[in-house]
Amino acid sequence: MDRRKALKKAGLLAGATIAMPSLFSLLQSCKNETRLDWQPEFFTEDEAKTISALIDTILPTTDTPGGLDVKADMFIDKVVAQTYDAEGQQNMRNAIAEFNASCKGKYGAIFPELSDADKTAVLKEAEASSPKFNPGVWGTTVGDQQPVGFYRSLKSMAIWAYFTSEEMGENVLSYDPIPGTFEPCKPLSEVGNRWSL
Amino acid sequence: MANFNIDAKKDMTYDAIVVGSGISGGWAAKELCEKGLKTLVLERGPIVEHVVDYPTMNWDPWDMEYRGGLTPEEKKKHYKNIRSGWVGKDTEHFWADDEANPYTEEKPFLWLRGHQMGGKSLLWGKQTYRWSDLDFEANAKDGHGVDWPIRYKDIEPWYTYVEKFAGISGEALGLPQLPDSHFLPPMELNCVEKHVKERIEKNFEGRNMIIGRVAHLTQPHNGRGQCQNRNRCSRGCPYGAYFSSNAVTLPAANATGNLTIRPYSIVQEVIYDDAKGKATGVRIIDAETNEVIDYSSKIIFVNASALSTAHILMNSTSKRFENGLGNDSGELGHNLMDHTYRVGAIGKVDGFEDKYYKGRRPNGIYIPRYWNIDEKSKSDKFLRGFGYQGGGYRGGNPANEESFGAAFKDSILKPGGWEFFITGFAECLPYHDNKISLNKDVLDKWGQPTLTIDAEFKENEKALNKQIQEDAVEMLETAGLKDVMGFDKEHPPGYGVHEMGTARMGRDPKTSVLNGFNQVHAAKNVFVTDGACMTSSSCVNPSLTYMALTARAADHAVSELKKFNI
Repeated sequence: MDRRKALKKAGLLAGATIAMPSLFSLLQSCKNETRLDWQPEFFTEDEAKTISALIDTILPTTDTPGGLDVKADMFIDKVVAQTYDAEGQQNMRNAIAEFNASCKGKYGAIFPELSDADKTAVLKEAEASSPKFNPGVWGTTVGDQQPVGFYRSLKSMAIWAYFTSEEMGENVLSYDPIPGTFEPCKPLSEVGNRWSL
Repeated sequence: MANFNIDAKKDMTYDAIVVGSGISGGWAAKELCEKGLKTLVLERGPIVEHVVDYPTMNWDPWDMEYRGGLTPEEKKKHYKNIRSGWVGKDTEHFWADDEANPYTEEKPFLWLRGHQMGGKSLLWGKQTYRWSDLDFEANAKDGHGVDWPIRYKDIEPWYTYVEKFAGISGEALGLPQLPDSHFLPPMELNCVEKHVKERIEKNFEGRNMIIGRVAHLTQPHNGRGQCQNRNRCSRGCPYGAYFSSNAVTLPAANATGNLTIRPYSIVQEVIYDDAKGKATGVRIIDAETNEVIDYSSKIIFVNASALSTAHILMNSTSKRFENGLGNDSGELGHNLMDHTYRVGAIGKVDGFEDKYYKGRRPNGIYIPRYWNIDEKSKSDKFLRGFGYQGGGYRGGNPANEESFGAAFKDSILKPGGWEFFITGFAECLPYHDNKISLNKDVLDKWGQPTLTIDAEFKENEKALNKQIQEDAVEMLETAGLKDVMGFDKEHPPGYGVHEMGTARMGRDPKTSVLNGFNQVHAAKNVFVTDGACMTSSSCVNPSLTYMALTARAADHAVSELKKFNI
């Protein structure tokens, strides 16, 4: 079907366009060790580096874009700066500080300065100890929601930032703003990835 | 703006005035205009012209600076409504400003309002079901509230009439408790919904699971386009594919040349002339200039939405009606109802991993009421009943996966597992002490008294909710779902956005505000056909009934006008 061909082609094109930025960010990562290459609105430099390093560990660049390729870190900074109230902002600040203090206590450095192996160890531990999100119905979480903690809520924000980015939404996930028909039981193979909308 | 004459000041006298332009106001305007009456529609908020004024209709998440998130200032503006979970950047402009329009909650109540041309017809869920005699006879049978002055046979032709024009899609089932509409072809169930349907219907006699009956066009209809399955309905539909005043009734009213719509018109009161013994017009405040203006007409339809309609009538005092227009019974503002909401169950469905869907169907499944519909289904725990809405979809929260890194990232690009949920809507009894009253201590931006709302769900609603959750869990477990989780997000009334009953219909002027044709008993040229008029609440969505009652009342109004009876 022409439509499927078109979709595949779109996928290939997406691959082509992301190859360059991901190489580019690889080159930049050396620079990241000393200072950020973007100016945060809300985060301090250490906080921003922590968020970026977490996103990069959770959603690394492979043959598809990573979280940093779609600037999920910069977006989260903007969201916290512009949509959080003062209390929410302070909570975020405290949570990052606590997270880094724990990294420092156990591994001797704040998260962005840890080796890849130590970063992995930190996140494995965080995965095991963070409660999960209850399911939602029509935008409301059901049941008694345990506080999910900093790690899982940051992970959730990172995935949100990643999935709702234009690059992911239009070129990597399956995109169809005007589906026209509703096809109730279509082979997944004909759709490909998760729908972006 | 070519289609609407907003320069209403020149002409102060009309044949008819309609207060409000939402679902029922729009129908009143259409019917009155088509019957040749020069009609003035007074709208509290701005003009929203179909398509032209749907600024967010084509936005993708990345087109919004915070991808749907709101700033603290925006949240503050909707500080009450935000509890509903419905307000996002894509629809924020269609929700009323809670700061400019305060109300007081004696007991918690969420009052959701849409102050613009089209009102909440731009925001509603579009589930459309006929009521049956099970509903219209309920009060008479169990003694709660007063008897409806009408029966199904009185409204049946008007259901058909409005359905043919509005376009309702659905599947005919022949159930007595949920009469079939005049249907366009139904939307389809997805594979998991079909699977769950089979298992529920096989294991539970008398329980059916059907596709929702909705005011969405599944084929082109009356010059409007069919649904494109974008599911961006609450931003306004550029195809006119769902029923809204903006796309359907107001353009029809306008086509007659008899319609004038005046935006930014805050109706203060219906003017009652003691000497003439009838209402003679409506007083407004211009929301922008604060100018007070009186408009005159022969008949008045008050369709401001349930609470605002009662508010206006309570504010309309005269020698004859010291406690509010038409309030001889003392029932004005009382008997406030809503449906319970957010109680049900959710679970996971194994299998079907190779199946997905295409299109964002703006509709789900419906399980019609099955309790207390006959002797066999009688419950000793509660009166009346409930129905479920819900649906199956591939979701899963990737943040819950105990994984991260390259393989994790690859896996979440694929859709998550199948989930299926049902959530109940239970009938709320009409309690006299669930009420609203004028609050002269808290004034709005225009110096007018606001409303105090004092309502709660009581024992019967709580018993219904308990059964909703128990049945939901049992049905989903029996259907083979995994990790089934029942829930009851206990919440106050208002969340269902089905507020009803504050100017109820009835047979007896001593116990009701309106008669069987929605006329104020003692001021027969004043009609109320929005949620305020409802005598009981059924458990099914009420909007279709407002439409049918409005068309019926408008027909009666014009006929009475011609006979010089009003």
